[in-house]
Amino acid sequence: MSGDNQIVFEDVSKFYGEVLGVNRVHLSIPPGITTLVGPNGSGKTTLMNLMTGLVRPTRGRIRVLGMSPNEPERLFRVLGYCTQFDSFPKGLTGYDFLYTTLRLHAKGRAEAHQLAMNALERVSMTEAAGRRIASYSKGMRQRIKLAQAICHQPSVLVLDEPLNGLDPMARAEAIALFRALAGEGLHVIISSHILHEVDRISDQVVLLSNGYVVAEGQIQAVRGEMHQEHPLQILVRCTQPGLLAARLFAQDHVAEVKMHNDRQGLLVSTRDPDLFYELLNQLVLEGTVEVSSVAPADDDVHSVYEYLIGTEGGAA
Amino acid sequence: MAVYKRGYEGYQGKLTPEWSRFLVIARQAYRRVLDSKLMITFLVLSFVPPAVYAVLIYLPHNAGALQIFNIRKLLSIDASFFYHFIATQGFLAFVLTAFLGPGLISADLANNALPLYFCRPFSRAEYVVGKMSVLAILLSAITWIPGLLLFAFQSYLEGFTWFRENFYIGSALFLGSWIWIVLLSLLALAMSAWVKWKLAAGALIVASVFVTAGFGEAMANMLHTESGGLINILKDMDAVWFSLFRLTNNTGLAFESAVGALVAVSGLCLYLLSRKIRAYEVERS
Amino acid sequence: MKAKLPWGLWRAQVLAILRLELKKNFARKRAIPVYLLAASPLALYAAHSIGYARGWNQCTGHEDLTDFARVFQLFVLRLAIFFSAVAVFMNLFRGEVLEKSLHYYFLAPVRREVLVVGKYLSALLVTCVLFGVSTALSYLMLLSHLSQTKSHALAGPAMAELPAYLGVTVLACVGYGAVFLILGLLFRNPIFPTVGVLIWESILVFLPSILKKFSVIFYLESLCPVKVPFHGGGAMFAISADPTPAYLAVPGLLCLTVAVMVLASLCIRRMEIRYGTE
Repeated sequence: MSGDNQIVFEDVSKFYGEVLGVNRVHLSIPPGITTLVGPNGSGKTTLMNLMTGLVRPTRGRIRVLGMSPNEPERLFRVLGYCTQFDSFPKGLTGYDFLYTTLRLHAKGRAEAHQLAMNALERVSMTEAAGRRIASYSKGMRQRIKLAQAICHQPSVLVLDEPLNGLDPMARAEAIALFRALAGEGLHVIISSHILHEVDRISDQVVLLSNGYVVAEGQIQAVRGEMHQEHPLQILVRCTQPGLLAARLFAQDHVAEVKMHNDRQGLLVSTRDPDLFYELLNQLVLEGTVEVSSVAPADDDVHSVYEYLIGTEGGAA
Repeated sequence: MAVYKRGYEGYQGKLTPEWSRFLVIARQAYRRVLDSKLMITFLVLSFVPPAVYAVLIYLPHNAGALQIFNIRKLLSIDASFFYHFIATQGFLAFVLTAFLGPGLISADLANNALPLYFCRPFSRAEYVVGKMSVLAILLSAITWIPGLLLFAFQSYLEGFTWFRENFYIGSALFLGSWIWIVLLSLLALAMSAWVKWKLAAGALIVASVFVTAGFGEAMANMLHTESGGLINILKDMDAVWFSLFRLTNNTGLAFESAVGALVAVSGLCLYLLSRKIRAYEVERS
Repeated sequence: MKAKLPWGLWRAQVLAILRLELKKNFARKRAIPVYLLAASPLALYAAHSIGYARGWNQCTGHEDLTDFARVFQLFVLRLAIFFSAVAVFMNLFRGEVLEKSLHYYFLAPVRREVLVVGKYLSALLVTCVLFGVSTALSYLMLLSHLSQTKSHALAGPAMAELPAYLGVTVLACVGYGAVFLILGLLFRNPIFPTVGVLIWESILVFLPSILKKFSVIFYLESLCPVKVPFHGGGAMFAISADPTPAYLAVPGLLCLTVAVMVLASLCIRRMEIRYGTE
């Protein structure tokens, strides 16, 4: 993929005085939904602020679709950023906020009006658009921020915890919107703590801890690189679990086998899932066991997060 | 949850006296104030004039200095002397207020901290008194406290007769300082509460003194009347100080009018504070 | 081949910024102190005219013109426009940082230089209109009252001085606006430098000629049609200086403004959004 279709960080570091924001970040973010995952203070917002030019790197280079963040007049034609700040220009209604943003983009009156109305519709804020933003609820403020990020139809959408304050229905609508935008070819970069939603929506993830990138890529690929240190756990529901367990113990790649409480299945930890599946197929074909279900138990974002970052914040 | 499992109990220990709780606010504010090197430097420099005045009081009582400089003829330690002291320290108090005052309430308003204060057994009056005490204590330290020390020093050197005859100077120092301190504190808190920005509050504090002074003078020029001086806070205070120190009042304002104007300003400040110091904010859509 | 500069785009963006600033900052309660400052001379002159009509004060036309000049230089320029400039220009960027809304401008496809120009022009437009109208109406009120006095002959020639007063008003907004724009950008707590400028301009009369040139008020007073001698306490210590001719004072103030805009643009270009440190 050419660099002009990616968001590229080349050896980027950012220090706030003596405090580390991010250190030695090398990233190439392709189109699709990329989620930045990490505990508080891991550098997610710093990365977003760096790629949008709100802060400048102490070292390194950043290119967004071939453009530097130091050229806001070019960059923000194609980039929209929904920040974490819950503050707005005073005295404006929701509609005014979007309309004036679009006029700053040098859109004409009619075009700005149309785009503002489109954005309001997409975030279901048409009815409240005439009210002052200061009178909005938290969820409404979040949606109007989202509208401001998408109103000028950008190619890159950077969203810092966009689901904060949204009720479940609004969350589902927002996720559907992100999927639709990603499906249209946009780069959608999201930061989130809600790991099960990250699982649902992300094409790739970037895991951050203490300012370092600890993993990046599709979640299954990331999980695949961790099998040696953290064997994959697979839950197998079958008849004759004891027999299956006995066959599995003989395999070198199997680290652990645990009987399920209801004695109708096994939790297998294996360092080589391919070999395990091969063996399982063989046993099923032999008729040794009847398998009713096979599912990995820890190849989601939550598990990867636990293994790489953990509850203590993880290692650099 | 079964009753027998409920292990939680409210705090049963000793409570601090209710009257002293406003000091919590003052303590927190002082931590921030004393963190600022600029503030410490300014406070130290504010004690330079009292030191100079102390030397000026001492010199006329020193035989050697008397022989060399003949100071008694040049400088008499009287009501006018102490009036100039309070005017000097009063100006420094104003500068200190302009620097400290803006951040007292505006920061709490900007960061939505008022609901956190008032959801505790803590009243609006205690909050305002707590904030005022920050300024009152610091301003006292540079006004009436060194003033009374100078008065005591002079009384010690001159004797009890002088003290008895000039007791009004001591009370003028005390009362005059407190009037200025209360006025400055209320003004600073009102401006700080009225705007959420520390910067704007600071500008308002400075403007409310200088602009009213300028407008008062402009009124005097255009309308050929001394009444314009009533909106000039500095002139009002001068009129009060002149009366307290029993000096000739050349401001053109009567003592009662000046006091009335200051009371009106204080009342306006209290009204602004009562409007703004609330646990909630109403936003009209 | 050199690329053409997108003047049309910049004009559209400056107008958009102007509209936004007018709506955000000037069509709201927070602008009331500025409106009051602008209206205060009007109130004074209205009271003066009423007072004269009712015989409460008797003054000659010459005194009126001198009083106007004194009030204009000592109150309108040094206090009303000064503090309005502090309130308006200093908050152009510092206020946005305190309200945590500056990033919305940085996230728009607007050159930072265009942003500085747009914000400055919006503040300049408001202050010039407010104080220009106030000055014009005050002076016209004075002249209409003058034409009813024994000195009515002065009214005609005095009218010729109105453009000068309006020009000085506009230049005061330009000069003080530039000064407080840059102070608001350079200092996190600009109150000390503001008080410093106020004190500097107050003691200017006692300073040597060379130091007087480092102030806005010196050039403004040079351009005023009626000179007002210093009568206050310490008049014997006042140092008079030759007024700067208009062909130097006006370009000088404009050059100061351009220099400030360039410096402000550099500051904004390098600025990072870190609200937590404010």
